[in-house]
Amino acid sequence: MIENFLAGSAALFGDPFTIGIFVFGVIGGMLFGAIPGVSMLTLAAILLPFTAALEPAQGVMLFAVIYCTGTYGGAITAILFNIPGSAENAPTAFDGYPMTQNGQSGKAVGAAVLCSAIGGIASSLIMMAATEPLANWAIRNIGPPEIFALVFFGLAVASSIGARTIWKGWMSVLIGLLIATVGQDPVGGINRYNFGMVDLAAGIAFVPAILGFFAVSEIFVQAEKKASGKYKAPKVSMTFPSWLELWMHKVAVLRSIIVGFLCGILPGIGATLAAFMSYGEAVRWSKTPEEFGKGKLEGVISAETANNAATGAAMIPLLALGLPGGALTAMMVAVFQMHDLQPGPLVFMLSPDLIWIVFAAMFYANLSILVIGLVETKTILNLLKIPFQFLAPLILMLATTGAYIGRGLVLDVIVMFLAGIFGYLLRRSGFSIPGIVLGLILGKIGEQNFAQGMQMVHYDLGTYFSRPICAFLIAAGVLTLATSLYRAFKSTKASA
Amino acid sequence: MRNLLGATACVAVISTASVVSAFECKRSEANFDKPSGFPERALTMVVPYGPAGGSGQVAAAMAEAVTELTGIPINRDHKPGGSGTVGMTAYMAAPADGYNVLEHIDDASSAHALNSALPNPAKDLIPLAISQVTFSQIYIRSNETRFTDWPSFVAWVKAQDGKATIANVSKEGSMERVTMKFITDATDMSIQQISFDKGAPRYGALLGGQVDALFEQPGDVGNFLEAGQFKPILTIFGERPDAFAEVPTHLESGMDFDALLRFRGFYVHADAPADRVEWLKWAFQRGYCEDSYQAFNESKFMTVIDSYRETEGAKDLITRSIAQYRDVYKAMGMEVQ
Repeated sequence: MIENFLAGSAALFGDPFTIGIFVFGVIGGMLFGAIPGVSMLTLAAILLPFTAALEPAQGVMLFAVIYCTGTYGGAITAILFNIPGSAENAPTAFDGYPMTQNGQSGKAVGAAVLCSAIGGIASSLIMMAATEPLANWAIRNIGPPEIFALVFFGLAVASSIGARTIWKGWMSVLIGLLIATVGQDPVGGINRYNFGMVDLAAGIAFVPAILGFFAVSEIFVQAEKKASGKYKAPKVSMTFPSWLELWMHKVAVLRSIIVGFLCGILPGIGATLAAFMSYGEAVRWSKTPEEFGKGKLEGVISAETANNAATGAAMIPLLALGLPGGALTAMMVAVFQMHDLQPGPLVFMLSPDLIWIVFAAMFYANLSILVIGLVETKTILNLLKIPFQFLAPLILMLATTGAYIGRGLVLDVIVMFLAGIFGYLLRRSGFSIPGIVLGLILGKIGEQNFAQGMQMVHYDLGTYFSRPICAFLIAAGVLTLATSLYRAFKSTKASA
Repeated sequence: MRNLLGATACVAVISTASVVSAFECKRSEANFDKPSGFPERALTMVVPYGPAGGSGQVAAAMAEAVTELTGIPINRDHKPGGSGTVGMTAYMAAPADGYNVLEHIDDASSAHALNSALPNPAKDLIPLAISQVTFSQIYIRSNETRFTDWPSFVAWVKAQDGKATIANVSKEGSMERVTMKFITDATDMSIQQISFDKGAPRYGALLGGQVDALFEQPGDVGNFLEAGQFKPILTIFGERPDAFAEVPTHLESGMDFDALLRFRGFYVHADAPADRVEWLKWAFQRGYCEDSYQAFNESKFMTVIDSYRETEGAKDLITRSIAQYRDVYKAMGMEVQ
């Protein structure tokens, strides 16, 4: 493996043009990942036709690099302005933005930089060591019932994130699940809650909803404070997390690498579920779960480690089996095909050079996150010095553009503002915005896999329990749910 | 079943009437004067699916080919959702000035067959060209030991008493669901259809043994065929294509129905200025002939059968498909509006 890695590194850095493509991918991914709406997918779609003029290894490597750095890029705006660059950065905002408000922006961004790099590098190494056996294991053992069980397990902890009471936490998750049912059902294609509107048949898009619930509602909250004279500008902090602080979170980092990697390896699941699941696990294992959503460093660490750990993992089913894990990896299939190549088992035999250049590039791209991230962070943090009256319209403009640009639908802008208004009202009443977003995103994944799983087991729910991984996850979810309900009753009784 | 669909000799259509080969296409004019300077700016192509799927890829390949030919850039505007209805609605609302074109698949025809209030691609739009026409097959894993060919598969499925599974995109009224109904009726077998709307989980389900078989088009599983992981056991087409000469067709296997086809093409508003439509027809039909597009179609198994229809051939294919779907929906007891 080391020999192949060194050969891949030599090929990558032995040609100035290839180095140029690598640097372009690193910076382009970070920039496009950071701007809401204009995601790394936008950049990839723009670049796709041009990859035909590149060598196959250069084209595939460019996309792999964009994937790594684009996944990290969205963390910065999530932490500083409560605007997640994409869905996989939404859990980063849960605690990252409260940290900014508490004057700990430097610490949050520093942790995001470091943990994105650690997660990405770790998954690159695992990817290099064991692509084929891991892909074969996952494909044989994880089907729709297991993915549904994983989502159920993830939702079971959502109640304790950021809500005033556990009951309101659960209500928040249920609101998210309800929103997730808008649009065509995932199996029969039957329209639900679209009120005859064609555009709603596709459901509520994630990006406008996330922008509304996070960015727009936050502007309303801050505007209210400004109007009532309670507004305090966030302090610009250049204090990075200390090595000791990071060492204290070593278990969280390790757990997030495992969770992120396992989610990333599943075809069609990817980094979004990884970030949410990892965040949920951090809450579950914490001795102080009530501190999550209020500015806990572990929240940022868990989400950012996991979403980057998923990038290397997502390459495993793509390269070993030809199965893309998400939209960007699906575009990589097109890059392969443009050069008369097909990802899958044969590519390891026919194009080992290409594979090892890609592996090496992903490793160095994650390393670049660390280097460039630490250098640029201090400049970026100064954005917080912009006065609120200038910053708020700028954020609103960016968010509106981001909501519209994804599908070019006015409906998405309306959804964003409605989510902003409802988000503002729900926050005032003590409901949890992370809970709603969690319900919305995991709800769609969960429903689809539940329906597929039920078809597979011939509508016999008991069969779910004959699948060991599925049974374990459901049992763990039920146990978490029971514990949560017990605590809720106990606290209600105590306060009565 | 044959009687039910008797009026729609789709298979014959493919093999004879509207066949316009790439060779014939090459004979069309290499240049076409721009009508009154049209187009003087970039075109917009509405694509009702995401950039990474089959439609996104064919849209990108055709846009590149037309730009190579004419020098006119084409911006692709992806509007996914609602099985193509979101993109179609957005397109119909766009100005009919010839600057807006649409990519769509046979879903537009089946949607109109079910609900005539939705646009008819052969009447409310003008097909510029259909550049991909393909057939479906049933696949199993190559290392499968429980069954190895279509007869043994049918026997095995029957023995499972409805518990065998097949992965497809079984949305209500879809080509996949309708074809599976033909097959299960003709063979008197019961098989559970598992609907996966994305390709990767669908193919992964077969690779990993989560399902027993897969319903798909050969171009979408080309890499699994080349890698020897998937094996076709039934071709749903009127004749054996050379590339799959060993695989029996549904007709040979005693299933007497006309195959429904998957097709992807490019359209413009029916009320767009006629001279501009003529230029667009030329650009897209010649675009099909460009080497880059031909190489793309080759990589997608789209040269196995004739994959091209010019405007009239496309209208014919669409009209016949709509009639065929409508008959089938009625026979299935579905409400046709």
